[in-house]
Amino acid sequence: MAGAAALRRAARRVIRPLVNASAPSRTLVQPERLLSSQASPEHRGRAIVSGSELGLYPPERIRNFSIIAHVDHGKSTLADRLLELTGTIQKGHGQPQYLDKLQVERERGITVKAQTATMFYRNTVETSESHGTDSPSYLLNLIDTPGHVDFSYEVSRSLAACQGALLVVDAAQGVQAQTIANFYLAFESNLSIIPVINKIDQPTADPDNVKAQLKRLFDIDPSEALLTSAKTGQGLSQVLPAVIDRIPCPPGSCDLPVRMLLLDSYYDEYKGVICHVAVVDGAMRKGDKISSAATGRTYEVFDVGIMHPELTPTGVLYTGQVGYVITGMRSTKEARIGDTLHQAKSIVEPLPGFKPVRHMVFSGVYPADGSDFDALSHAIEKLTCNDASVSVTKETSTALGMGFRCGFLGLLHMDVFHQRLEQEYGAQVISTIPTVPYIFEYGDESKVQVENPAALASNTAKRVTACWEPTVIATILIPSEYVGPVIMLCSERRGEQLEYTFIDAQRALLKYRIPLREIIVDFYNELKSITSGYATFDYEDSEYQKSDLVKMDILLNGQPVDAMATIIHNQKAQKVGRELVDKLKKFIERQMFEITIQAAIGSKIIARETLSAMRKNVLAKCYGGDITRKKKLLEKQKEGKKRMKRVGSVDIPQEAFHELLKVSNSK
Amino acid sequence: MGCSESEGQLARTVVKLFLALKLQKNGLVHSSTLIAHPYRIDSLDWIVLLVPPGPLGSRWSAMLRSALPFVFQFPHRKPPPIRPRPPPVRRYASPPAAAGSVPPPLPPSSAYVHLPFCRKRCHYCDFPIVALGSSSPSPRGEAEDPRIADYVRLLLREVAATRAVSDDGVPLETIFFGGGTPSLVPPRLVAAVLDALRGKFGLSACPEVSIEMDPGTFDAAKLRELVGVGVNRVSLGVQAFQEDLLRACGRAHGLAEVREAVGIVTGCEGLQNWSMDLISSLPNQTEEMWEESLRCTIDARPTHVSVYDLQIEQGTKFGQMYTPGVYPLPNETDSANFYKMASKRLSEAGYKHYEISSYCRTGYECKHNLTYWQNRPFYAFGLGSASYINGVRFSRPRRMKEYADWVQKLEDGTWCHESITSEMKDMAMDSVMLSLRTAWGLDLHSFSKSYGKNLTLSLCSMFRPFVESGLVIAMDAERQALHPSEFELELDSENKGETGSRVAFIRLSDPDGFLLSNELISLAFGIISP
Repeated sequence: MAGAAALRRAARRVIRPLVNASAPSRTLVQPERLLSSQASPEHRGRAIVSGSELGLYPPERIRNFSIIAHVDHGKSTLADRLLELTGTIQKGHGQPQYLDKLQVERERGITVKAQTATMFYRNTVETSESHGTDSPSYLLNLIDTPGHVDFSYEVSRSLAACQGALLVVDAAQGVQAQTIANFYLAFESNLSIIPVINKIDQPTADPDNVKAQLKRLFDIDPSEALLTSAKTGQGLSQVLPAVIDRIPCPPGSCDLPVRMLLLDSYYDEYKGVICHVAVVDGAMRKGDKISSAATGRTYEVFDVGIMHPELTPTGVLYTGQVGYVITGMRSTKEARIGDTLHQAKSIVEPLPGFKPVRHMVFSGVYPADGSDFDALSHAIEKLTCNDASVSVTKETSTALGMGFRCGFLGLLHMDVFHQRLEQEYGAQVISTIPTVPYIFEYGDESKVQVENPAALASNTAKRVTACWEPTVIATILIPSEYVGPVIMLCSERRGEQLEYTFIDAQRALLKYRIPLREIIVDFYNELKSITSGYATFDYEDSEYQKSDLVKMDILLNGQPVDAMATIIHNQKAQKVGRELVDKLKKFIERQMFEITIQAAIGSKIIARETLSAMRKNVLAKCYGGDITRKKKLLEKQKEGKKRMKRVGSVDIPQEAFHELLKVSNSK
Repeated sequence: MGCSESEGQLARTVVKLFLALKLQKNGLVHSSTLIAHPYRIDSLDWIVLLVPPGPLGSRWSAMLRSALPFVFQFPHRKPPPIRPRPPPVRRYASPPAAAGSVPPPLPPSSAYVHLPFCRKRCHYCDFPIVALGSSSPSPRGEAEDPRIADYVRLLLREVAATRAVSDDGVPLETIFFGGGTPSLVPPRLVAAVLDALRGKFGLSACPEVSIEMDPGTFDAAKLRELVGVGVNRVSLGVQAFQEDLLRACGRAHGLAEVREAVGIVTGCEGLQNWSMDLISSLPNQTEEMWEESLRCTIDARPTHVSVYDLQIEQGTKFGQMYTPGVYPLPNETDSANFYKMASKRLSEAGYKHYEISSYCRTGYECKHNLTYWQNRPFYAFGLGSASYINGVRFSRPRRMKEYADWVQKLEDGTWCHESITSEMKDMAMDSVMLSLRTAWGLDLHSFSKSYGKNLTLSLCSMFRPFVESGLVIAMDAERQALHPSEFELELDSENKGETGSRVAFIRLSDPDGFLLSNELISLAFGIISP
């Protein structure tokens, strides 16, 4: 549960002693000495980089790039190898997936937060710029981006700091849904793309087929593709020379006042908010005053440096360089991703592309044990310090007590948030069925955005004239034999087919516009199961569409359970209502009275079940006056009741709430 | 409420009058101020003590209080046997209405004695017992197992090393020999224990002395002997009237022994008071079998019947073999039905269902068990036994070796009760848990006095829907059931701060409320200790 914080601390323990050991005899380390990938005593000096060293790297000797890939295609391993190759980390030391620092990232093989790593590299391969042994040293910044659509804004900001990207594709699996999504993101950012066909050591590797796919889908010349195995090291030596050769240097101007792009930020208990930045123009030095274009606030630069691979103070960052800055920011909420930080008191053009966070999925988060509200509140506060993209407002439910309504960028973001709450802060939570932001229009022309179904009146006095729901464009790649079932699934989910093509002899690409609501519960699992796990899926936000929506209440003995209310498409209400009611009947235990479980739209009951009353719960006598055992049993029973959530007189076990989350939209 | 009970009543009133007269003789109460006024409500007798007004009166009250705390607690009514005596209490969250009226803890007047020997362990049993095995003594008890005599010696050492709670010699009114199978113990050893208890604590004029006996472990002579040394109540462990069921339970006797034992007990001169113990919800038990057992029980005309619902305990043979509610055990509905059948049949046969698992003819409540349910203190002696002295519950070690070591420590004076007495909320929980097992129910006035009016009100509010649904019955001071709507009215006016509620008692209904007692009591626990 200690999670990322502990990992980070552990990582620091690895790095710091090296720093200290070499600190007294510190000399200016020539970039040329930084080339070997072998660990040797003089390399310890690498942990210290001075500002004057950074000054040796003008923009033309800098390359900023990222690695984009479908999940599990080898992005993190490739990153590890590049860090080792440049001696930035020692081989066999530190954690695999070095840049994925959160436990949740490592477990799921995903990247949630952007990380940067600065590497020094002397190009020994002939390039257009330099020749032979005389080749200069380069400063390479690897900007690791989240790969998931939930974080597409974050990805786009990270990519905005790059001039090129390695597009990693698994040699056996070929192009997948995320490959396509990421390619287009990079393409739209005008990045130079270096295709890397990875895992060529696998027996099922078919690089030629992958090359053909790249050609067909992205019009990439097959001769451009690098063939690598991050596992065996095959072909890796070609990667960094290609980065230097094919990716342009950062375009900024050294003479302008400083202007930089804020890539991501995180909160450190001791140092406060640490921002990852890419300096676009000018230079930033310790002690400078900088301002945020988004908030207008001004800060002093307390510390500035590069990630090499951990925080390495340099006192300065020059044009085109990527590193970190620590200012007096109190919370990551002040550090908005995509914001422009610039020299204070100067008027600069903000960098393009900044957007405020847009929350697409909402869910109530409640302490599993009602009395833990303070603990949960504290955990959420700490976690949002590190993840400012979650919106949090207090809400109260009659069933679940005090809790929070949280807004997330998407489903994965929500999942990750829950997992981090549990793993890093030990919080046990009940979350309500996720919902999307609907818009209800009334007869008096007022519009309401509904983020909590319970907040929508079941029998509103005002006439609803229209309802709008957000949609997404979903991209699904599947082996062609699964096309039938997938088309069926998508139409069940109210999808509208936009595209149906074959990317090669075996695989089809489907594009659908689907209401977001239909994919937030159980869509991906369903898709995986009907395609034996072969489908890959990605989506991007699309516009709102008009829809016939109703609010469905769940009633226990006539009392609505606010935390179980959902907004749902009229045609699906009957089916989903039936499922919810059946599920509840299974998970609510018999009580001393009969319980009716109903699903209702307004005053119309659409599904109903009855749970008969408990018949017997009695214990024999207290033998020999020993009442303590009996009392313990009854106390245990009392505690069991305490853990339940009560609506009216009905006790609902927490599992019932968890189970409701699993009820699919339209099975 | 029949007049036929007047004799018994008169006798009890006389005892109380005698007490009052003793006070008068000691100069505490003048005869002119003392009026014994027996009148009848629900077959109970009341006594009224009138104390003159003025300074003299208050002096008398103080003296009365110290001399007879219990009588003083209820100046208007002397409770019947089943009526709970006040628990030994300290103040709860809000101070009782009249703090001065809370009496000091009573000294125990009951003793439990554990005699753990059995021929073999029954399949449902998880009690601290000693299975004697094949070397067990014959039912006639000629060849004594040395382990029994050794154990009784240990028991006598424990009695000797135990300090009486009161110095002024409150005598024992009930003694209960439980087991195990106490009827395996030779009568002279039972007599030795009785002698020791008499010597240590004294015995009242007519104490209730019960012993548990199993069919096949005694003959008429042995029972006569036991009665001769002072035993006057027998609890006969019959459990079932079907050979197959007895065998399936692992009982050491068959149906023939049951018939024989019933004959011996009913034919024993000087023994009127006996209980038949049955178990319901046994594996493969059918409704017909249960009906038969109830009929045989009624035909045997015991004064008392205990019906225990089978509990499947972990670590027992049944625990390994069966899952509650799953065949061959009856399901919840069938098992509830067995309980209702017992309640119906036995009530029709004239037995009062006075506690969840206890039935009796009028006046034949087990006084010893009432001690438990009224939350009064009691001594306990022997392996694994639990005592309740000076507000502390203590369970002795369940293994013989550890028990022996403990007795040694007790003798050496190196063991003493933990000084931590139970918290008020624990005592309130005990009080609710125990009283709601009885038909008498929870006395709200005395509960309020001990634990505060607010808590009482909260309990009543919690029970409100169950009064409505008939699982809980509210009664007035005359023990007349209040209609749910009356109860609600009373509750509302009390919540508004108006005084003088008519709700005096709360009880669980028979059989539906009793059947759900665990649920209802644990809800009450949730109110007392949220």
